[in-house]
Amino acid sequence: MLRDQTNFSRSEMARDTFALQAIGLRKTYGATVALERGDIGLKSGEVHALLGENGAGKSTLVRILAGAVYPGSGEMFLDASPYAPRNLMEARQNHVATAFQELSLVPNLTVAQNLLLPKLPKAGPWFVSAKETKRAGEKILARHGLNRIDPQAEISKLPLADRQRIEITRALENAGRVLILDEPTASLAETDWLFERISLARDQNVAVLYISHRLAEVREICSEATVLRNGSAIASVGLAEATDSDIFEMMVGRKAAHEKTPRSTRASNDRTARLAVKKLGGHNLHNIGFELRPGEILGVAALEGQGQQWLFKMLVGLEQPTEGQIYVDDHPVKLVGPRNALKTGSGIAYLPEERKTEGILGGLSAATNIVLPVLGSASRSPLISPKLETDVAQSSADKVEMSTRYLNFAIGDLSGGNQQKALIARTLATGAKTLLLFDPSRGVDVGTKQSIYTAIRNFADKGGSVLFYSSELPEIVQLADRCMVIYGGQVVRSFAREDITEQNLVAAMLGHVTSENSTEVKA
Amino acid sequence: MSTVQSDPSTMIRSNENPLIRFATGAGLIVLTYVVLYALHAFQQPRALTSYSIAALFNNTAPLALAAAGQAIIVISRGFDLSVAGVISICNVTLAVYPMDGPGGAMASVAMCLAIGGSVGLVNGYLVAVLKLQSIAATLATMIICQGIALVILKAPGGAVSEWIVYEMTDRIFSVIPVSGLVLGGVVLIWLALKRTSFGISIYAIGADETSAALSGINVTRVRFLAHVLAGCTYGLAGFMLSAQTATGNPTSGTPLLMLSFAAVALGGTALTGGRGGVFASIVGAATLILLQKVLFSSGVSSFYTGMFQGSILILAVVFSSLLARLGDTK
Repeated sequence: MLRDQTNFSRSEMARDTFALQAIGLRKTYGATVALERGDIGLKSGEVHALLGENGAGKSTLVRILAGAVYPGSGEMFLDASPYAPRNLMEARQNHVATAFQELSLVPNLTVAQNLLLPKLPKAGPWFVSAKETKRAGEKILARHGLNRIDPQAEISKLPLADRQRIEITRALENAGRVLILDEPTASLAETDWLFERISLARDQNVAVLYISHRLAEVREICSEATVLRNGSAIASVGLAEATDSDIFEMMVGRKAAHEKTPRSTRASNDRTARLAVKKLGGHNLHNIGFELRPGEILGVAALEGQGQQWLFKMLVGLEQPTEGQIYVDDHPVKLVGPRNALKTGSGIAYLPEERKTEGILGGLSAATNIVLPVLGSASRSPLISPKLETDVAQSSADKVEMSTRYLNFAIGDLSGGNQQKALIARTLATGAKTLLLFDPSRGVDVGTKQSIYTAIRNFADKGGSVLFYSSELPEIVQLADRCMVIYGGQVVRSFAREDITEQNLVAAMLGHVTSENSTEVKA
Repeated sequence: MSTVQSDPSTMIRSNENPLIRFATGAGLIVLTYVVLYALHAFQQPRALTSYSIAALFNNTAPLALAAAGQAIIVISRGFDLSVAGVISICNVTLAVYPMDGPGGAMASVAMCLAIGGSVGLVNGYLVAVLKLQSIAATLATMIICQGIALVILKAPGGAVSEWIVYEMTDRIFSVIPVSGLVLGGVVLIWLALKRTSFGISIYAIGADETSAALSGINVTRVRFLAHVLAGCTYGLAGFMLSAQTATGNPTSGTPLLMLSFAAVALGGTALTGGRGGVFASIVGAATLILLQKVLFSSGVSSFYTGMFQGSILILAVVFSSLLARLGDTK
């Protein structure tokens, strides 16, 4: 069933059947080996998935193929001729284009300028023509079904999802032979547009490399997958022949438990709600009401941009509601910021959406990042004790199964999964009884996901309350005791326990609340 | 599905609020200047004569040019301390080696541009190619330049050529100040540059260097050229300063160092890069100079000038961010 990557990629006969082939790519940063043995072969007109845990070397491999990083050793062939791009433009000249996960758009330039850089249309020998730039941008957007986006809008003014679409559109425009999509759905709640674009590119005989953590997506669009583990290509496998557990096993080297664990109802209705909200409104949200009781995990499901960010920000005081009231432990409160939220009643801790910009402090150690909200407990005198700091951090790190040896690394050097674990550990370390988690497993691998789920369940089992939003429906189905669906700034539906199914959630998220399926759900 | 999807995002259009544009563009600082000038004219009716206007332009030109160069660097996300050194070298050079006549003036301008450009080359090499922190690299070049200035001229003295002193501070047809023309020329060059790929790239690397590089912009080249361009502008500032003071002083550039940053900030250019403009910075410089005049004619001792300039700076920054926030919530 599985072919050995090394054998088939080294065979001379196979070489000319690949649009882009990499053999034995290796990249080290100082003593750290980022990529040990990168082997991959992409065929024209096929979508190939790249799978692997965080830190497996996916990003490094992508960056080498994209021309952003130069490999230490190894070879690459583009249509059987040697390919060694020194930079991104060289790759682009060879019709290899990449949409990066962290987006490579210039925030203060317009959509059209970003799409056309570095060659903006000229009026005369020197000047850039604003009119032509706009027109060319408009054409590109129209070609990719994005007419609703204004080509003259500044990138920084667009929602994250549209920025991701622009990034993908730019790659599509430049990908004559090879298209590389690094986590293209990280900020997209639905994949219809993307898959339609990928299909079109595939029909034009473009080879597509698709990197994603979401196996369901990968199965939908990709025909073959290469799995990386610890910097080495483990195997290339036809997706039709491999089961999910086969793939998990290749990725993590162990069978991953994936089924929904049955739980007893922990929440009891007679206890006071930790967090309650009545008729809350503001920032396009209206009439939001819910109660979160001790021991309960409440999920929020919504398409992108339905106001879920604002809801979480209002609940920790980063934004002020214009109407309605928040109650903590049955007392009406006015929250003025995360620190204030932490100190109010039984405490509310918040995990923000953007790990890099809102979460980690890159230069500080993982331990410091974890104990940050409770620095006082890591000190005996006015001075912080490094020993005590590590001890305090350790107890929280254990809860998310984070290895001790990472605690003294600068958090910026850790993989995304470990950064996320550290941030979850931080919210646990605060001692708050209510956690607000915004997309707790965003962009992390399967193994890390399970550790995070376990930590959340354990927290709830000990009487903690959790409100979380997730862009992944299986996550809500697996974790939530109850779930509310937000659409157009309002809670349109609520589901409990066994009614929380992907089908029900999707229907409600799209605003399709017909009398027919609501009776069906009730029944 | 697609119709549902497009719903929330259709609202996002480039209907940029005029209030934001006013706050982030040159509007606010121009308005400040006009109000201050009206106050000045009210105190001193003679301020409206072409002689006084020319004198004001002459006083403004050196700082305005220094601020113009500084703005280019700040927009590309950097700081350039070498401005003080370049101006000092140009000034002592012109005082020690005066060249008379229009030909001499041409040669002098060329020399100043060459001095500024060379220092800019060094800065560009250190900052863009070797990737040193701009504040550290230009601090070093500033100290070196000040040393060179002292070698050329040990103590204040010397005389700048009469042709430069007279003609560069004169008025054409007794109306248009020459120094104003120089400033206008620099603004025009900048407005033209802004419409080139280079100009757009300066803003791009200032906002997000990594993204700019991944978008195919040659960051090293753009940053290098920006430093050379800024250096030339400082050279021009040194030339205009010499025309105004008529004499040489090895530390003549030092007072302009901090004020050039103040002018840039006053003009609404973000010190974090990516936003702002050269014209607004020039008006910012003009406002600082005009403030000195207004305080002087109000009978306030010149010891208090700094306090007022600093307070105006804080007010301007607070006011413009307030306006921007107001515009955002609308």
